Amino acid sequence: MTPRYVHVFAFIALLLAAAPGRAANPLVVEAALDREVVAPLLAAFELAHPDIELDFRDRSTLQVDERVAGAGPAPDVVISSAMPWQMARVNEGYASRLDSAEARAWPEWAKWRDEVFGFTFEPIVMAYRLDLSRHMMPPATHADLHTLLTEQWELLHGRVTTYSPLHSGVGYTLFQQDARYTTRFWDLVAAMGNAEAVLEANTRDMLEGISDGRYWLGYNLLGSYAMVWAQQHPEVIVQVPQDYSLVMMRMAFIHRDAPHPAAARQFLDFLLSREGQRVIAGETPLFSVRPDVIGPYTAQRLRDQVGDRLYPIPLDASLLAFVDPQRRDAFMQRWRREFERR
Amino acid sequence: MIEVDGTLKSRLAVWLSVTVTALGALLLVEAYFSSQRAAQRAYDSQLESAVLTIAEAVQWQEGRPVVEIPAAALQILATRHQERVFYAVLDAEGRRVSANLDMRIPAEWRARVAEEGPVWTNAEHSGAEWRLHGWEFDSAGWETQDPVQIWVGHTLAGRQALTAELFKGAVSRFLVMVLVAGLLMLLAMRVALKPMRRLRHLLRQREADDMRPLDARVPEELRELAETLDTLFARQRESRDALLRFTADASHQLKTPLSGLQSTSELALKSDRPDEWHRALAAIHQGAERTSRLASQLLSLARLRHVADGREMHRLDLSALLRDTLFDWAGLDVAQDHDLGLAELPEAPLYVRGEPWALRELLGNLIDNALRYTPPHSVITLGLVQHGGEGKRGGEVELYIEDDGPGVSPEMLQRLHQPFERGGRQDTEGSGLGLAIVDSIARRHDARLTVALRTPHGLRISIIFPLENSP
Repeated sequence: MTPRYVHVFAFIALLLAAAPGRAANPLVVEAALDREVVAPLLAAFELAHPDIELDFRDRSTLQVDERVAGAGPAPDVVISSAMPWQMARVNEGYASRLDSAEARAWPEWAKWRDEVFGFTFEPIVMAYRLDLSRHMMPPATHADLHTLLTEQWELLHGRVTTYSPLHSGVGYTLFQQDARYTTRFWDLVAAMGNAEAVLEANTRDMLEGISDGRYWLGYNLLGSYAMVWAQQHPEVIVQVPQDYSLVMMRMAFIHRDAPHPAAARQFLDFLLSREGQRVIAGETPLFSVRPDVIGPYTAQRLRDQVGDRLYPIPLDASLLAFVDPQRRDAFMQRWRREFERR
Repeated sequence: MIEVDGTLKSRLAVWLSVTVTALGALLLVEAYFSSQRAAQRAYDSQLESAVLTIAEAVQWQEGRPVVEIPAAALQILATRHQERVFYAVLDAEGRRVSANLDMRIPAEWRARVAEEGPVWTNAEHSGAEWRLHGWEFDSAGWETQDPVQIWVGHTLAGRQALTAELFKGAVSRFLVMVLVAGLLMLLAMRVALKPMRRLRHLLRQREADDMRPLDARVPEELRELAETLDTLFARQRESRDALLRFTADASHQLKTPLSGLQSTSELALKSDRPDEWHRALAAIHQGAERTSRLASQLLSLARLRHVADGREMHRLDLSALLRDTLFDWAGLDVAQDHDLGLAELPEAPLYVRGEPWALRELLGNLIDNALRYTPPHSVITLGLVQHGGEGKRGGEVELYIEDDGPGVSPEMLQRLHQPFERGGRQDTEGSGLGLAIVDSIARRHDARLTVALRTPHGLRISIIFPLENSP
């Protein structure tokens, strides 16, 4: 968004703000996105749009999903990393189209129907504690991990952590995607079950466990959080898998029944704008999608570092299969069967 | 007067555009519907593929159908236009085995699929129009053998886009066609109008007195025009020939009395006897009088023939005119040797439209002719006979003059009214213009001149006028 447009929007917003009985322009964002991580982005938005009173509600993915269709006033903007659930909501018609220059220019692979936009580019990583490397060669690929879990299961017993597919939408999605690539994934699940891996509901808990020494090895962590954590906690090493690395995108859409659609459009436009993406790339670890943005955290830089092994979870209708109840049941059944095999 | 009424090109252009507009409207409506059908077919086949892909994933477990919905099927449903997608797998009782939206499939649709096979239908859901496809297939497990219905659907953006695209293609093809047709039409007009230009060129190049028939190649449509032009040329040629003949004849006729005058005067000049001078002068006087009469007759003939306009037609009573004129003539010296009489006239006045002076001239010429070309004591009778006309219209009146003179030979009969024709007689002092003048006047009054022989001898000249009944 060019500054000129910002001024126009600000002017319109001011006009709206001048309406009697309304001091400011509220905007409700329901997000499965840590406030601490995204704080610079929100600050930049508030600076660019001082007239909008941003109400950012940080929740879990499943809570966010409930809010979309729940009773009570609808949120203006919905952000979540649980991609299949976001996609299902859009398919149900809960999103309204964003018709703006930013939306049109957004890369095809990171949007659907111009209604929902993947605005971050977060690699999925493994993380291990330095202690691990004293005992064994740390894993660099999925196969390495499997080998370690089978060969060193006694040493790793109870010291491996990963997402709970039952309690985390992100975790479930990642495992589904893993299972799509290879059936050997189930051997990995069985091996993790054998090592009595601990299932956590979010990346933060896993990272804390690793820092505390409870865990030595974590699988399928959000790279965005892990990389920041590793900078502050030198005992934690982040490993981008060398065979393939999934990439997750936060998906944002404007709610169909948004009470403040104009503000919602401004917010989304800001997320997609060069300015917003520049903040994402420079001040958050969320990685910018835009190729024209330069900073430490950009999809382009990640590609340069990791190579072609990045496999973004496709943002298309195939995601809907993951939320199919029967398919989910079947997956969870299999998961349980493999995980609890012993 | 030539009035320019538009151009052929603009007329053709108007017709072309009318035709193109009417045809075009029809064509475009047809194109729109066929685009719609094509888009429908293309996207319906996507729905079909999705159904087959889902059917492949249906399996039976413990007497219940179980389906792990294939991601590919959803991709196929979404198409590259990213449609919103719907799928539902229903068991034999219509219970949902697996589905993603709360779109209800009515029982009658399910029954239709069960009875008639695959169903295509449109439905409204969550503010959008959907295209749905239902299909039933027989599936069997170890415990149960029940049919399973699969319903899929998607929104219509892709169909609309494809329809628009196909329609746009059709429209642009049509516009190109119109453009090409227009250009060809212009070309065709040039080619078609070429014979016309050729004809115009030919006519323009013609000498003023060139009266030969046209020598041109023309298409069938211009043949009539060319023939009409040829006829016109022929008539002009004839009238010019007639004029030349008349002029030659008139000069010849004037020359004879003038040379008579010349020789008489020469003889008189050579003599020195006063009585011979006197005789010569009398002869010259008579000759001059005759020549003057000839000249005045020529003049009146020329006037009658060439002064087409300015005629003043009045409604007048032919009986009264005849009576007056005959009365005048009966008193003249020239009539004293003949028995000039009037037959009994009808009692009622007989009205015709005519110019009084011309009709008097006509009667005078007829009487003068009769007097000149019949021997003394001949009986000359004039009369009027009415033919029909008791009703409102259609009547005629015949004005006749008959004598018991020698008549003329039958082959002369048809030529009598031509100028300088004297009925084969050279013994009279007549100019041969009398009947020609009569004929001209008769034509001016839309009357017919007929000449017939009487038995045993004599001539009857009739002029038949159309009757002008009381208004």
